[in-house]
Amino acid sequence: MSESKTLDISRRAFLSGAGAAAVGAATLVTPGVSQAATSDVPRWGMVMDLRRCIGCRACTVACKSENDVSLGRFRAVITEKTTGTFPNTKKTFLPLMCNHCEGNKKDGVPPCVKACPEYPGKRAKFTTPDGQKITYRTGATYKRPDGLILIDKEKCIGCGKCIDACPYGVRSFDPFVKAGGDPTKQAADKCDMCAHRVDNGLEPSCVNTCQGRARIFGDLNNPNSEISKLVKKHNLAQDANVLLPDKGTDPHVYYIDPDNLLHAIYTERKKKKLDHFVDQIT
Amino acid sequence: MGTNWKESAESAKFRSNIYGLLATVFRKEPSEALIKELRDPRLAGVFQDLGVDLGEVLKDIPEHEVVETLSIEFTRLFIGPKDHISAHESIFTQLDGGMSALWGTTTVAVKSFIETAGLDYKQEFTGIPDHISVELEFMHKLAQWEAEKWEQKESKSAEYCQSIQRMFLEQHLSCWLPRFCEEVMDKTSVPFYRNMAELTRNFMRFEQQSTAH
Amino acid sequence: MKQFNRRDFVKLAAATGTVMVTGLSTSQNALAGDVRLQEGGRDFSPITKKERVAIPTTCWQCVTRDSMIGYVEDGRVVKLEGHPDSIRTLGKLCAKGQAGINHVYFPDRILYPMQRVGKRGEGKWKRISWDDALDLMASKMKPLLDNGTPELFMYQYGRHKGSQSSIMHDFMDAFGSQTIGTHTSVCEGPKWVGQESLWGGMYDNWDYDHTDFVVNFGSNQFETHTNHIPTSQRLIRAMVDRNVPLYTFDVRLSNTAAKSTEWVPINVGMDGLVMLSMVNVIMNEGLFRRDHLQYMRVSPDYHATDDEKIDAIKQHVAKFTPEFASEKSGVPADKIRMIARGYAKANAACLIGYRGTVMHYHGADQERAAMLLSAITNNLDRKGGRVMGVGASWKHPSSPKAKLQKGLDITNGFPGEAAFPTHQCSQQNLPMIKDGRNGRPQVYWSSCNNQAFINGNNNEAEAILADEKLIPFYVNTNIVYDESSQYADLILPDVTYLERWDYEDMVSPTGVGEYSIRQPLIKPLGEARDQGEVFYGLAQRLGIELAYKTKEEYVRKSCEMTPGVKEAGGFEYMKKHGVWHDKKAKPNYGFYEAKVDVSGDGVILDKKTGVYWDYKKAGVSKTEAESKGYLGVEGAKKAYVAQNINGTPRLAYPPNTSFTKSGLLDFYSDNFAAKGFPAFPTYTPIPEHQKMDKDDLHLTTYKVAVHTHSRTAHCKWLSEIKHDNPAWINSKTAAARGIKDGDSIKVKSDIGEITTTAHVTEGIIPGIIAISHHFGRKHSGIYGSGKKSPTTVTASSDPDAKNMWWDKHGTHPNSIIPNSSDPISGGQRWMDTVVKVSKA
Repeated sequence: MSESKTLDISRRAFLSGAGAAAVGAATLVTPGVSQAATSDVPRWGMVMDLRRCIGCRACTVACKSENDVSLGRFRAVITEKTTGTFPNTKKTFLPLMCNHCEGNKKDGVPPCVKACPEYPGKRAKFTTPDGQKITYRTGATYKRPDGLILIDKEKCIGCGKCIDACPYGVRSFDPFVKAGGDPTKQAADKCDMCAHRVDNGLEPSCVNTCQGRARIFGDLNNPNSEISKLVKKHNLAQDANVLLPDKGTDPHVYYIDPDNLLHAIYTERKKKKLDHFVDQIT
Repeated sequence: MGTNWKESAESAKFRSNIYGLLATVFRKEPSEALIKELRDPRLAGVFQDLGVDLGEVLKDIPEHEVVETLSIEFTRLFIGPKDHISAHESIFTQLDGGMSALWGTTTVAVKSFIETAGLDYKQEFTGIPDHISVELEFMHKLAQWEAEKWEQKESKSAEYCQSIQRMFLEQHLSCWLPRFCEEVMDKTSVPFYRNMAELTRNFMRFEQQSTAH
Repeated sequence: MKQFNRRDFVKLAAATGTVMVTGLSTSQNALAGDVRLQEGGRDFSPITKKERVAIPTTCWQCVTRDSMIGYVEDGRVVKLEGHPDSIRTLGKLCAKGQAGINHVYFPDRILYPMQRVGKRGEGKWKRISWDDALDLMASKMKPLLDNGTPELFMYQYGRHKGSQSSIMHDFMDAFGSQTIGTHTSVCEGPKWVGQESLWGGMYDNWDYDHTDFVVNFGSNQFETHTNHIPTSQRLIRAMVDRNVPLYTFDVRLSNTAAKSTEWVPINVGMDGLVMLSMVNVIMNEGLFRRDHLQYMRVSPDYHATDDEKIDAIKQHVAKFTPEFASEKSGVPADKIRMIARGYAKANAACLIGYRGTVMHYHGADQERAAMLLSAITNNLDRKGGRVMGVGASWKHPSSPKAKLQKGLDITNGFPGEAAFPTHQCSQQNLPMIKDGRNGRPQVYWSSCNNQAFINGNNNEAEAILADEKLIPFYVNTNIVYDESSQYADLILPDVTYLERWDYEDMVSPTGVGEYSIRQPLIKPLGEARDQGEVFYGLAQRLGIELAYKTKEEYVRKSCEMTPGVKEAGGFEYMKKHGVWHDKKAKPNYGFYEAKVDVSGDGVILDKKTGVYWDYKKAGVSKTEAESKGYLGVEGAKKAYVAQNINGTPRLAYPPNTSFTKSGLLDFYSDNFAAKGFPAFPTYTPIPEHQKMDKDDLHLTTYKVAVHTHSRTAHCKWLSEIKHDNPAWINSKTAAARGIKDGDSIKVKSDIGEITTTAHVTEGIIPGIIAISHHFGRKHSGIYGSGKKSPTTVTASSDPDAKNMWWDKHGTHPNSIIPNSSDPISGGQRWMDTVVKVSKA
């Protein structure tokens, strides 16, 4: 066996989100992708470039691995759909994950957070890159000031209300983690945008592994970030480029979709069902 | 409270012996030497008195044949290559997340616990750190050390060692060993392993009861 | 047994103490040292802070072998990611690569040597020590050495590359057996044979970074490719960033076809014909480029002028009009013209192809047609075209070779089966053993090769492995119990690729070679042992001298002796960085143009062929050289120096394969002609297809993005996404048989019948049925086969096994596909089987 060693991760490697290994040392280095250029609090988001998604599923498996996601459920999936009649047949790949919604215009609270009986809970402080502290309300499901919708499994009571409330059906019970608030139940789980990586200056695992560069992660509050430029260039901040705009959730996962595939192939989940959020190759 | 040093030392030594016996049984396929020892009337008699059927071990067949039979069953039960019972805590534990079964986070916890107690894994040990026999051997060594401390009238150390054993029982052995034993009892028709598994399970119950305060 | 009380245990303990005084503290102990406990001393609370270590290494899920970083916490591998410094992978890793961890920690993994104790195949095993295992093997192998019959020891491998391959060959050379079975002929052998007959021992790659147009025949580039991550990411980037069009000819709407500018459905086995009709269009419309003609030989005449060559090509392809091709291929003639024009007019274009094109009757000839299309548009080894793949050139230690070197002629198919089996005819290895006419190995050792699953007619393969009369001693090195190991006499626990040392050499798409090493992320679990060390253990017992004791030593020495790597810092550098490439190196486009000095003593020009060769190096006198000529002297190709290209000696395409040829691209091949095969690429109807009944269907197979052929079924994250393989069938074809989506169907060939499920789809041409070939495992752990898990009924297996929600494991199509070979190359004809399909 080789000696334990710490890899000499170059700054370039680090900036490209190369290593979860850097998590420990990350705070010592200038955070790369996650750095907000301004003193504003970042607003994390994702752009999915459907032109570039080749349906390879590296993201699905990277997510499983990064987050130890049990069998039978997913935090991120590719759905595929074949349409048309031979020989004019098409097949489309659509990556899905938590939309890290902003919530409706009125109160800015996404439906999952609203459904959580533990929200609003205690106040907590969020520290911006320049050291400002922002107060926000926690819950078992809550929105952090940087826009990430997170789950506190210690507080979760396993009631499943958030699972039902999410119109996208991205949430499920984690069979391996008990709800801290009611250990007779299992805690809710979903994509947290790899907050543990993001907080240490690394891209989410699915982004890191995407060979087509179909997933672009970054700070929407920073006009110079790649994601902001893409949102501007492709005019993504509109109904046509997000999922279920009529739900008023204000999703922060945007799709570059020149062929208008999104609304042709995405259907809303059936009530109480999660079977559309399973990654299967036919 | 007057301490009966001798009795405490004896008690620890006895527990150490049982752990040692079970560790030997589950470590690997039996050796001819082990079969010989088990056939010793002094030990065989006790097993008989206790209603523990040693099966082939006591039959009138050469030791090497007993070894062969039990080795094949040991391989089938615990090694593979087909359906077998992986004799490792992390396989049985439920706390391991969706992550690996073999050499899981529990394995790391066991290894760390044992190393914290000052022991090292031998270079030549090719098993996985949370193998049943290692956990049993660990308890064997702790109880042995406890006995020594009682003999040296160092009650504080002896009691501390008891608390460490209790901790290891609660955090590890008792979390999985009973289920493992039941699994073995269910899967084998060879009396020796079925009875050793049952003996182990019963001993676990006894340990849990007698250490619970 | 009764509930014990304290007194019972005391009795037992006392007796144990008396009898087993030594038994309790024997050398079997796992733990060393003394208990050191001091109250308030050490903290026994669970660890909260984990140290995460990053180790660069190389993947081995598939032959692409991406560089990657393994992350290890507390001695456990927790994550694999792409290596950001790799010029090949650019930091990316595919789904299979990400799931590599599943190989190490799956509940059914084989961790100890096991010897069969019941009848072969009965499934009764006894664990034995490595010493006993090696003694046993040596006891079978030593007599072969003593009797002067080393060839009766056969080594059959699947995926061995880089140092795995070189160390194995080194051992076999030291032993003296050249009875070595590979697997390339079931993979892509005809492709290499086609290429070797032309441009030498090259490994084509495609310069997507600079291409302007891509035409793909039967390659699933975006899902599964021999150099997947390095090439597919560059292709999708070229398409989106630079609007490079991609036209995919395929019988099936693969993910690659789906992401193409256009999917062009094509009938089975017609790729070469459509290529030739594209040549027809390009030649007749004057869209060809003359640049490469001087390097091409298209008629018996070595000295034809460019115009004569143009005429000859036109003549060769005259009958392959787009209309002719259209009628057979189902591709509209206008579509062929449109794509041919786009391809020819593009500044730089790639013509790519793979299994769909070559795993056919005369598959090797189809590849020659692909090369022809590349050559007439001057896209061979040109920026943006079909280029020479450049890999790493490692040096490695060598052991003394045995004086006696022999091999059984059982790896190249039956006599007359294949003319140029330069990549063997491995699907026939077991049938040849059964046949026995060329001898049978006494000791058969397979490693990373599941003969009973991967070949055609796999049921027969199983039966042969099961027969002790045919294979007296069978050793299987493996990490999982599979269709082959169930018949082994000895199972040896292999290390996973996350536990071993290797150097690797896979080609780079940038034209600059990349060197990478694989290093263990963790100590091997259980008693898993690297083959390199197993070789050493055997060598010791056989009295054979090897130049290394461990694989680590072998890799270290290789690093210290390989130019470039050595100067960069050798082994220590590679351990730290994982990859190395020459920062100053540039792609060597057009290597064939290099001017060569022919003034050397002994170098003469062969008038007939225009080859400059060194007769002294060839070991003949000048007189003999001149009288017999370059082609008349055996082994003269090894003395090749240059080719006379319009008066200038240039490197051209050196004959560095088993084909004897000049430095010209042999589109007119004497080698082929001499064996009765078409000298010039042509269209040859597939015999089976000429006698199909009206309701017969073609059967083809394919791969998906998340599995290798046979090595990933036990990877739970992959099998969760894909575990079943319903047969794709077009809605019209299905309707004609009363088949609806999800129906159970029977698929019958000449050699057998399977029952599977219909996936009725618009994504496949009518008249065929396509079944992926990863599934229908009889064994491969619980995730792969649903059985043979540690504990199938209770809660005590892998905690995640409880969450396994799928109970379908597919149907293996290989049992109805016969082993039959391309008569040119020996490649297994996966795509030529004719079947009848009916509702079950």
